[in-house]
Amino acid sequence: MTESGAQLFSRLEARHNVKDIEPRLFPKDGGPEDGEMVELYGTEGTGKTELLYHLLCRCVLPKEAGGLEVDVVFVDTDYGLDMLRLVSILDSRLNTAQSGSSSSAGSDETVLRSCLSRLLVIHCSSSAQLLLTLHFLENSLSSRPALALLLIDSISAFYWVDRCEGGGSIAKQEERLSKCAELLGRLLRDYRLSVCATCHAIRRSNDGQASSDSDRSYLCRAWQRLVTHRLLLSREATSMKQGSKEQRSQQVFTVLCSSSSSSSSSKIKSYRSSLFCVTDGGVEFI
Amino acid sequence: MVMLREGMCPGLHEDLVRDLRGAGVKTVEDLVSSDIEELAQKCSVSYKALFAIRRVLLAQHTAFPVSGADLYEELLSSTAILSTGNPSLDKLLDSGLYTGEITELSGGPGSGKSQVCFGVAVRISHHLKQSVIYIDTTGGLTASRLLQMLQAETSNAEEQMEALQRIHIFRLFDVYSVLDCLHSLCSGGLQRASVGGGSVKAVILDSVSAVISPLLGGKQNEGMSLMIQVAGVLKTMAKDFNIAALVTNHVTRGGSGEVQPGLGVTWAHIPRTRVLLERVENAVSLHGHSSLRSATLIKSSRQACHIKEQFDLQWWSRSPDRSSGKRKLEETQLESSA
Repeated sequence: MTESGAQLFSRLEARHNVKDIEPRLFPKDGGPEDGEMVELYGTEGTGKTELLYHLLCRCVLPKEAGGLEVDVVFVDTDYGLDMLRLVSILDSRLNTAQSGSSSSAGSDETVLRSCLSRLLVIHCSSSAQLLLTLHFLENSLSSRPALALLLIDSISAFYWVDRCEGGGSIAKQEERLSKCAELLGRLLRDYRLSVCATCHAIRRSNDGQASSDSDRSYLCRAWQRLVTHRLLLSREATSMKQGSKEQRSQQVFTVLCSSSSSSSSSKIKSYRSSLFCVTDGGVEFI
Repeated sequence: MVMLREGMCPGLHEDLVRDLRGAGVKTVEDLVSSDIEELAQKCSVSYKALFAIRRVLLAQHTAFPVSGADLYEELLSSTAILSTGNPSLDKLLDSGLYTGEITELSGGPGSGKSQVCFGVAVRISHHLKQSVIYIDTTGGLTASRLLQMLQAETSNAEEQMEALQRIHIFRLFDVYSVLDCLHSLCSGGLQRASVGGGSVKAVILDSVSAVISPLLGGKQNEGMSLMIQVAGVLKTMAKDFNIAALVTNHVTRGGSGEVQPGLGVTWAHIPRTRVLLERVENAVSLHGHSSLRSATLIKSSRQACHIKEQFDLQWWSRSPDRSSGKRKLEETQLESSA
């Protein structure tokens, strides 16, 4: 395919790095480099979407409020994006930032709007549409140099429909997702974009059985090869805080990050485990 | 999946469609993801023309990105919170059912799922003067119960009839007819339903598990796929038409004996808010059958989970004349829980 000089320039021009998007999540010096894929994996109610909102907020918040000030595309295949929740998280982050540094930078409302305008939301209702949309994104990426992160919630949304439509052959069943993965691989490589995608677990995890069958990825191999950082989310047993009655029991979530190092010479895996809880103001690490 | 047809976009004429088909390109996806240069040679058509066709098709079939700021603006003006009419439940749901979302009620037999659905339907049709779509898959809906609830609200017979007319009921007993119904609602049915009065604000599917759970187990792919399709059309309908979707689900027991909503882990991702309804064990009313229920919030993006509230099913039919109303209610409850 031909490419104009301007397109080439904007493609190769350094995109913003999201390596330090959340240092508490990834192994030491191991944040997602340009062109790397992060997968968030877990069953319902393990904080995947909350963690995704956390990363999203970090990206779109202005630098004064501790954000990265980059553009984000949110591909919503689950129709689950709760804008009101997102806004309340952004609001609380902006408020804490403002109370820290007494200098007020414009009114809250305008800052919030400018944050939200850095976010692009795409709703997809089928895997075919997802594929076409990714193609469309590829074409429009060169005109958006500030775009640094692509979020997909979730990549497994059409898994069962594809399985059924594919009939008997596994290759046919996985065709669409493989094509999506191939295309995403190209976006990662050519545009140095970073991608975070959630994936629903389809089996109930058995308590106490670490690294059981339920944690293994079931998506096609083309997808599995793309993933460099895998975040396994799970819910801790509810710890009742005794003493004062008002203090409600707080739900604690665990994330286990396993990153395969990007240096091609050695395939070293590094791990990091962290705890967080979800409050009104979003994810808080413990 | 969209097949390539002549006339879909300028330049895509009959011969070209045939040539493309010969080269193994049948759908829009195929065309978009294939190498245009190679394809142009194969079909002996100019690269430029084919590239233009690809661009137009892509623009036609892609999901269009919306700025977050615009989405928020739109949401602020269009989201409504529909009160269930019961203060305890409203408190649990952060003031009611939100439009654009799926809310799930789960519970065992006789835990009051259907009663809550009736109450919500009556509340929306009478107080808000808006229409409700009620898809009944168990045959548990009785018009007399709806009327009884309305009689508790107003003694004006005309108002009662008007409210009943705003509740549109579909009795469907398998997943294919439910899917059919939902699709036809999306393509015009909702507008037709709102002709008589207020627009449709809620779609109640009571119960979703009755049509889906028979499909699970055997041929897993097919059952799961149908479940996701039902979920998909409910979600898009809720978002696109600003409707609150309320579904009911049965319960199962997990490995360690705890009660959990049915339909498994894949369905668990679908509803935005999940409420578990249970009988209050130790409460015994005068008539032997207690109408006290407890509701536990087990999934929510707005409130802390595992909040518990108690409510009385009789709330929706508290009438000024208690003695007669109460006995009637007890009877219908027995019926509905049987």
